[in-house]
Amino acid sequence: MALAHHSFAMFDQTKPTTLTGTVTAFEWTNPHAYIEMDVTDEKGAVKHWSVELGSPSILMQSGWKFKDLKHGDKVTARISPLRSGQPGGLLIQVTLPDGRVLGNGPGRGPQAPAQ
Amino acid sequence: MIARVVFLILIAGAAHAQSRTNPPDFTGTWGPYRAGRGADPKLAPPSASPVSLKPEYAKPYEARRAAEAEANRRGEPLATGSALCVPYGVPSMMSVAVYPVEFIQTPKQITIIAEAFSEVRRIYLDRPQARIDEVPPGYYGRSVGRWDGDTLVVDTVGIKESVQYQRIPHSDQMRITERIRFVAPDILHDQVTIEDPVTLEKAFTYTLAYRRMPNYEMVEFVCDNNREYVDDQGVVRLKVREK
Repeated sequence: MALAHHSFAMFDQTKPTTLTGTVTAFEWTNPHAYIEMDVTDEKGAVKHWSVELGSPSILMQSGWKFKDLKHGDKVTARISPLRSGQPGGLLIQVTLPDGRVLGNGPGRGPQAPAQ
Repeated sequence: MIARVVFLILIAGAAHAQSRTNPPDFTGTWGPYRAGRGADPKLAPPSASPVSLKPEYAKPYEARRAAEAEANRRGEPLATGSALCVPYGVPSMMSVAVYPVEFIQTPKQITIIAEAFSEVRRIYLDRPQARIDEVPPGYYGRSVGRWDGDTLVVDTVGIKESVQYQRIPHSDQMRITERIRFVAPDILHDQVTIEDPVTLEKAFTYTLAYRRMPNYEMVEFVCDNNREYVDDQGVVRLKVREK
């Protein structure tokens, strides 16, 4: 029986959302990595989002490297948003500037079990 | 025929004697080996036995499980220690998500490092176990091991009551027995049996399976960017940044 760091129930897995924007920071940290990004809407307003990923270990097991994202990169991220309505979410997958698509770890992402 | 039988007995005896002087070496890094993920069914661990709590412990345990399930349905998960980066301790640290564990074996001690939260446990092979009431309760308690043929038998006491496996309540009388052995050249099983005369009607057992991860380099895990926090309702929330 495997344990996970925390429940993923705070994210709404039924409402996948696509964010296209500019990376302001990529934090390769524990217990989770984060993509911080500015997203500009149709009216030109900029909103900041925090996107949670797995841990570096879990990300590396699915092909991520710590240098895969950096400040200024343009990316498209598909996320499960926070149910609270705050601008945050759990990564499903991200398209990098070079076109590669990376997920959120082996067997991870919105379907990851809490326990 | 008789000579052949005697010969086989001699070989078996020699093999047994050798296994006592040369125990298997578990040194290396091990990842979870789970059914349904390409695991050979013949090497899959047997099913866990049911957990049978005494009624006075079963009731609050079931109530807590129900509250957790309901909170998850609402999207407001209840706080857990691990969400706040509190380590798992023994035995939970042996099976955290997909994280590997590393065994470092010497004749007198086996050290196990879990990648998640960089947890460390030490199993002493050259000394007896202490009395339960002499071990200060902690996350790892005190573990001693001995070889039973090719199986390492580990006895652990001194796990503090807040350090729970699957939220199952236990007392300061809990005793954990692990039987760790190779079931194939690169597959380990760790059969974990938990006894507690205070909270359990009877002991329960589950088995973890591991596959060797040759050349894997353990990743550091320092929890210095935890954005999960617990609000005043006991619900886990995620801090988001303004910019």
